[in-house]
Amino acid sequence: MSMLKIEGLTAGYGPVSVLHGLDLEVGEGELVVMLGANGAGKTTTMRAISGLIGRQGTIEMEGVNITKWSPDHIVRAGIAQVPQGRGTFPELSVEDNLLAGAYVRHKGEGVRDDMERWFDVFPRLAERRAQKAGSLSGGEQQMLAIARALMSRPKLLLCDEPSLGLAPLITQELFDVLGRLNTEEGLSVLLVEQNANLAMHIASRVYLLETGRIVASGTSAELSADDSIRKAYLGF
Amino acid sequence: MKSLVTIREGSAAHWAIRIVTAVLLVAILLWVPTKGSASLITTSIEAMTLMSAAMALNLVLGYTGQISIGHSAFLGIGAYTTGIMVSRWGFSPWVTFPVAFGVAFFVGVLVSFPAARIKGVYLALVTLALGLVFPQMLTWKRFSWLTGGGSGLPLSCPATSATRTCAGVAKTTTGFDIGPAQKGQLQTFKIFGHDFFGDLRRLDNKSAFWYWIALSVVVVIYLACRGVVKSRVGRSLIAIRDNETAAAVMGVNLVRTKAFVFGLSAGLCALPGCVVAIKTGGVSPEGILSLTVLGAITFLIAMVIGGAGSLWGPILGSTLYVFVTDKTGSWADDDKIPGLIRPLFGWSKISPADGIFALLLIILMFVAPRGIAGLWKQYSPLVVRVLPRPAGTGGTPEPLATVSATETTNEGEPQ
Repeated sequence: MSMLKIEGLTAGYGPVSVLHGLDLEVGEGELVVMLGANGAGKTTTMRAISGLIGRQGTIEMEGVNITKWSPDHIVRAGIAQVPQGRGTFPELSVEDNLLAGAYVRHKGEGVRDDMERWFDVFPRLAERRAQKAGSLSGGEQQMLAIARALMSRPKLLLCDEPSLGLAPLITQELFDVLGRLNTEEGLSVLLVEQNANLAMHIASRVYLLETGRIVASGTSAELSADDSIRKAYLGF
Repeated sequence: MKSLVTIREGSAAHWAIRIVTAVLLVAILLWVPTKGSASLITTSIEAMTLMSAAMALNLVLGYTGQISIGHSAFLGIGAYTTGIMVSRWGFSPWVTFPVAFGVAFFVGVLVSFPAARIKGVYLALVTLALGLVFPQMLTWKRFSWLTGGGSGLPLSCPATSATRTCAGVAKTTTGFDIGPAQKGQLQTFKIFGHDFFGDLRRLDNKSAFWYWIALSVVVVIYLACRGVVKSRVGRSLIAIRDNETAAAVMGVNLVRTKAFVFGLSAGLCALPGCVVAIKTGGVSPEGILSLTVLGAITFLIAMVIGGAGSLWGPILGSTLYVFVTDKTGSWADDDKIPGLIRPLFGWSKISPADGIFALLLIILMFVAPRGIAGLWKQYSPLVVRVLPRPAGTGGTPEPLATVSATETTNEGEPQ
């Protein structure tokens, strides 16, 4: 049974449809990367999975149909999203941002322990724990956004373009962490990226999204072996 | 930024500052009704009703980021609940407080459902409509059996219960009656020889008793706001304000949370309405200015001046607003203007109070977009800096080495 299975997903904004029958699967413990140009529908896919926009088709999580569920139920079921542009809460401290991430959990369930654990993974956040999130750098905010999403103890993490606006070195560091979370913690990850080269290094499988449809899929090696794909997405 | 003194949160010095502040505050609050003049007490009650409403508004606007220009209607609902229950059905004024909360909570939740789906200027318009329609509804003929129409309702026992003492309300006055009293004799009771409350039926023309009612409402609302803001729900409110999408993907149910906070804010805003009704001794659409849309705008101004999204902001802003308005209220008369600034305002035939506030508001938006509370937060560390409790918040102080580390990171350049 796969962690996430999407079949024939159609979604969009009002009368405008962005996804036209998308099929996608994330196996348990897999790190799946979805590549696509601007406007291909990557963010829309994320929003549809999280239940933020109207959607048709089927979305199954561990065999349970969650297509019609509300966003908060989906989070409780174990899907956490790191929204595009980070979306940290600038007025809350780093700690409060993390506590906000544990919103669906209840006190005394080891929320504090989890917080310390993510502080170990992201030591730079630990240094700035009492600071307002708005005063962090872009890279730190992205790490905070990921740590915050992890605070809900998800089984599946959705990451929407975490490299956006970050320096290459920071992006590399970030992807290392994501890769480690996947291999060491067994966290299933669906990563949306434009930065194909870096993303494919840590990916179990890759999907190519073009104007609302999956046009190719396979392992990183398979896709980079394909000349046309390599030219269009990897640039070499 | 250098500061004169640096102390740690929860240390003895920090507690000393807290205790001195609390003692000062209590001293002022006790001094006003016992030694203050009748007009000072009246002004204080006015300030306290305004801060109650502003604090309630702060929950939706300051913390959740939902604009409302209709909160005057909720205050009006509170006032009329008291008016109707006392004068139509003979209830004790005390009973009307929780009922008013309940009624306004219900209406607030109803309003929140469209409010949860619209934002910004559209929400402002919808709530503005509520604020405009409410006083009209009160004067509507079809409701006059309940609201008393344009002339409103006096807060006295209904005629039908002339034979029984109407619970809690003296028949002839608008005050409270706590027991039999001789005619013409002041009905007071003293604590440690001090007369804190004045005459309970207000025959001494000093309304200290009303002062305590208003103060209790302020305390209740402050504690309610504090309880909400410092909790898990409070974090979700700020999350909604700062980034709705991010809040939703963390599992915050937007519609339910907004409904709750709107209802709570409306319910709390009804409480100062009850106070106003009791103090005024009756309710009418014209008699209570703060139930018209002007009232809602006043709440907004007081809240913004004090500092939106801070617990003390509305309290500071309302106090400043009421006392400045009170002091400048008589300035239509040239001689009342202090000599130095007479040339500035002397030409005006009307009171310049509103103009002064308009100016102050514009200036504040530049120098202190977060109001007085924001200014305080920015500049008080120049004198005393309170370092946050070390990691873990368990209260065990960490070695000094970490202290300096925290300090330097605190001053890191925001990016």
